[in-house]
Amino acid sequence: MAMSREDILQQVQEILVDALGVDDDEVSLESRLMGDLGAESIDFLDIVFRLEKAFSIKIPREELFPAESLMNNPEFVSNGKLTESGLKEIRERLPHTDLSEFEKDPDLNKLGDLFTVNAIVNFVDNRLNAA
Amino acid sequence: MRLAGRIRRFRLLRLTAGQLEQVGCASAQCEGIMRFILIDKVISFEKGKRLKAVKGVSLAEEYLSDHFPKFPVLPGVLMLEGLIESASWLVRNSEGFAHSMILLEEAKNVRYKSFLPPGAQIEYTVEAKTIEENVSSFSGVGVSQDESIVEARFALRHFNLADNDPTLAAIDAAVVENMKNRWKLLWQGSTGGK
Amino acid sequence: MRWIWIDKFVEFKSGQSAVALKNVTLAEEHLHDHFPGFPVMPECLMIEGMAQTAGILVGEARKFSEKVILAKIRKAVFFDYVKAGDSLMLEAKIESLAPEAASTSGRITRGEKLIAEIDLMFSHVDKNLSGKEFPEENFVFDDTSVFDSLLREVASQPPGPGAAESEQE
Repeated sequence: MAMSREDILQQVQEILVDALGVDDDEVSLESRLMGDLGAESIDFLDIVFRLEKAFSIKIPREELFPAESLMNNPEFVSNGKLTESGLKEIRERLPHTDLSEFEKDPDLNKLGDLFTVNAIVNFVDNRLNAA
Repeated sequence: MRLAGRIRRFRLLRLTAGQLEQVGCASAQCEGIMRFILIDKVISFEKGKRLKAVKGVSLAEEYLSDHFPKFPVLPGVLMLEGLIESASWLVRNSEGFAHSMILLEEAKNVRYKSFLPPGAQIEYTVEAKTIEENVSSFSGVGVSQDESIVEARFALRHFNLADNDPTLAAIDAAVVENMKNRWKLLWQGSTGGK
Repeated sequence: MRWIWIDKFVEFKSGQSAVALKNVTLAEEHLHDHFPGFPVMPECLMIEGMAQTAGILVGEARKFSEKVILAKIRKAVFFDYVKAGDSLMLEAKIESLAPEAASTSGRITRGEKLIAEIDLMFSHVDKNLSGKEFPEENFVFDDTSVFDSLLREVASQPPGPGAAESEQE
């Protein structure tokens, strides 16, 4: 099913408005789910459930939001920053996300900033239109 | 308390039906029997803007024996009720007790983050986004020992029963009177915001 | 005030949907406080009734092995108030079911009249709230006699077709 990025963005926006109780105009491509839209653990699941329904796709939670398991793994985290292997891991897990800014200072607290509306749109776009 | 109740009942027996009604209204029933009040005290209040209230959780509260028998914790919907009641008091005081009925119209994105066991106390803060004639909207949080327990966005609607049925005006007046007395109870001993 | 906000299930399709009935009566003490002189059922208790209907549906889908607790009220909208003498039907449907959580949608009706739409999310706490203190044993689905009573009329209904497919691993 071919779907334009604009259509995907519009659906993703609707989903985030419903899941997070935010207003339409708060959700832009650059919005960070945690920092700007106030998303928390249970919301990520809610968003995954809604994306699956809306786009008829299956999304393993780890694939879209891998932050939680990374954050708790000593192999990937040291002194509040991601280690080299942590960075390698996140590059593999988030192929649709631009990490260049984050890699300059891989502070754990900024990991949440990677989850932007744009990252979700990229993910869905890739799922629907890559094949 | 038990004795006072008996004496009152004993006296009632000797009254006529008309008198009964009058006495009935001065007794516990018309004052509210205090079994659905999910905040204990209002601690601060800024007209039209914000209200803070607290609720302690006590094993003396009967519903805790069902929720859950081996793990008593304050039910999540009663945390929402605490926020609704806090917001209702903000509305009542901001609009001079103009309406008898204040009900939940919509709740969105109410998130629960932890359990609240007996002995704990939760502090609710509600912030008004808008308070209009018949609707109002709020964001609210419940915090216990610096930990956020509940967060919600919600809207209330306010009206009088007489809006639809003028014969119910007396009930509106009685409910409002009752709410004024309840407010005194919740507000007594508070230090902030007077 | 006890803490059981549905009276019985009238329909139960395992893993899919359930319908419960709740009678609203003047014998319920809390009504006389909300409000004194004009008792209406508190909206938050209708949400709880839906949480119990949907929560048992979600719990049963995993044979009551998970501790299923209400984690999020996605949406609750009310269209009319409810008084003593009303009989409510609470219909709940599983939208998504995953190992760590579930989402449900639901509506409450009184006869033909829509009273509320309530969408919820439940967490299977062992998989979501590590670090919080709670008992090892299943404190949620502890007293099975309550469920036996609620499910008395629907216990013999076979599981709905397609119940397995609605699960997501």
